[in-house]
Amino acid sequence: MDVLFAKYLFRRILSAVLLIVLVITINFFIIHLAPGDPATIMTGLENPSPQIIEALKRKYNLDKPLLVQYFKYMTNLLKGDLGFSYVYDQPSWKLIGPRVFPTLSITVTASVLAFTLGTYLAVLASRLRKKFGDLIFSLISYVLYAMPSFWLGLILILVFASKLRWFPTSGMFDMRASYEGFRKVLDYLHHLFLPVFTLLLIQLPVFYRVTRASIVQNLREDYVTVLSAVGLPNDKLFKKYVMKNSIIPAVTIFGITLGFSITGAALIEIVFAWPGMGRLLLDAVFRRDYQLLLSIYFLMAVFISVAMIVTDIVIAVLDPRVRLL
Amino acid sequence: MRFRTDFAKRYLSSRYGLAGLIMFLTMLIMALFAPVIAPYKPTDISHDMLSPPSKVHPFGTDHLGRDVFSRVVHGARVSLTVGFVAAGLSALIGIVIGALSGYIGGVFDEVISKIIDSFLMFPVFFLILIIVAVFGRNLVYIMLVIGLTTWPSNARIMRAQTMSIKEKAFVKIARANGESPTRIIFTHIIPNGMYPVVANSAMQIGGAILTEAALSFLGLGDPSVVSWGKMINDARSYMSFAWWSIVFPGIFTVITVVTFSFIGDGLQQALYPKLSEVRNE
Repeated sequence: MDVLFAKYLFRRILSAVLLIVLVITINFFIIHLAPGDPATIMTGLENPSPQIIEALKRKYNLDKPLLVQYFKYMTNLLKGDLGFSYVYDQPSWKLIGPRVFPTLSITVTASVLAFTLGTYLAVLASRLRKKFGDLIFSLISYVLYAMPSFWLGLILILVFASKLRWFPTSGMFDMRASYEGFRKVLDYLHHLFLPVFTLLLIQLPVFYRVTRASIVQNLREDYVTVLSAVGLPNDKLFKKYVMKNSIIPAVTIFGITLGFSITGAALIEIVFAWPGMGRLLLDAVFRRDYQLLLSIYFLMAVFISVAMIVTDIVIAVLDPRVRLL
Repeated sequence: MRFRTDFAKRYLSSRYGLAGLIMFLTMLIMALFAPVIAPYKPTDISHDMLSPPSKVHPFGTDHLGRDVFSRVVHGARVSLTVGFVAAGLSALIGIVIGALSGYIGGVFDEVISKIIDSFLMFPVFFLILIIVAVFGRNLVYIMLVIGLTTWPSNARIMRAQTMSIKEKAFVKIARANGESPTRIIFTHIIPNGMYPVVANSAMQIGGAILTEAALSFLGLGDPSVVSWGKMINDARSYMSFAWWSIVFPGIFTVITVVTFSFIGDGLQQALYPKLSEVRNE
């Protein structure tokens, strides 16, 4: 860990903090400038009396000017207060907390599988170069890349749940069975399979294509020419040098994907009725639950930033040239 | 002129580029002549509900007895419009901002670059979602919002292009001749540097089509138009006994998005022939 790298890391952390502030600010103002008065929505009535609205506004500080609300919100965040959901009448973290594990169990599992499988297939395809297999792989990756995630999910439900009955159509547990212990874990995995498989298929082409392009590019580099000219066997050259350099872009994308994983795959969660973060987020959008929405966005920004920094460190370890930038 | 014919030749020589172009023209004809091609009006309801594909209804009918084939054909209009308007707006904003940022440089460039980076790191879909949810479910809004949130990748490409072009001799000569910066940007830099943005825009058309489909699927699409996403959403409750109502709109979405990926790759290969040499060797 040299001084240069420490400096580089410091710059990255600084810009991450900046990014979080920027994201929160943009979202705060978009949400608060939107038409539709949250106090009116909160009452849940067609024609609420002015008194109710007045009282609600006072309770949640909605009667103060926007800038005052903004600074109040920011100072609360610094104190570790994520916010308060108007709609559920509960602190945001209480709503978010139970959603974290179900969401991460889909997104992280899928991303890890997509990264491993995607880079593996790319390496495989580059060994098959000029052959029929490469064309098939790349056509499949085009099609998967173009697939709307929600539609793919529905089709998989149609085939594997409705017709073949191999997997349950939706939810996280079998409500009728109420299993305990190990059976419960199995039931969970059984429900987890289709959503993870959907997300895996959606993410796979991204890793595949990036790694594939990177391998092609790496094979043109001077070091490959030199090393093969001095007589290094192709196989060894590929395994020892080309592969290591070629997975770097995939590692970057993996980092970003992990950063996004906290918000879940909202559309897939909807399709599979999975009680995760993405559905909470969509619910918050539809119900104008501004505070809850902001809390989720804040968490997302922090998660993404941390993932970026960790990715940077990993890449710096893999590729020492980066440290000099 | 020579450059253009060369470019076209290179584009057509790429397998994907050619396939993409043919698929696109087919799609375009389908959208333009939708009323002629479709045997029924997309909104016509009938007693023939949820009937499987047959000679009368090639793609079957949905839960209101509407002809799925006619609806799919009309849906192409919405998807192509959304794709082109949103990606066009995104390209326009990206080109102008990227060129200004790269040409002016200094603090201005730093601020713009920071904004671009932040946008690129942020899952824009949720931003689009909020804006559409609160401002209204209207096709025009949807296209505008997608365009206004996806320009940063174009701006980044254009900025890099500008930085390299502005060091070229012809720009230096123009500057020495006393041409104004606005003139230099709009007559020299943008026309010479925008091609990579065009290739990126083809990809963005596909992205915009998917975004519109997702919004419609969530019930945030324009209620007055027939769109593939909305058809999928409508068909969800009936899919286990009427697969045709959900399968066909999805397949057409996939084909359309693949078309624009092909075109984007074809343009990319025509732009950077060296890369494709390696690829096709």
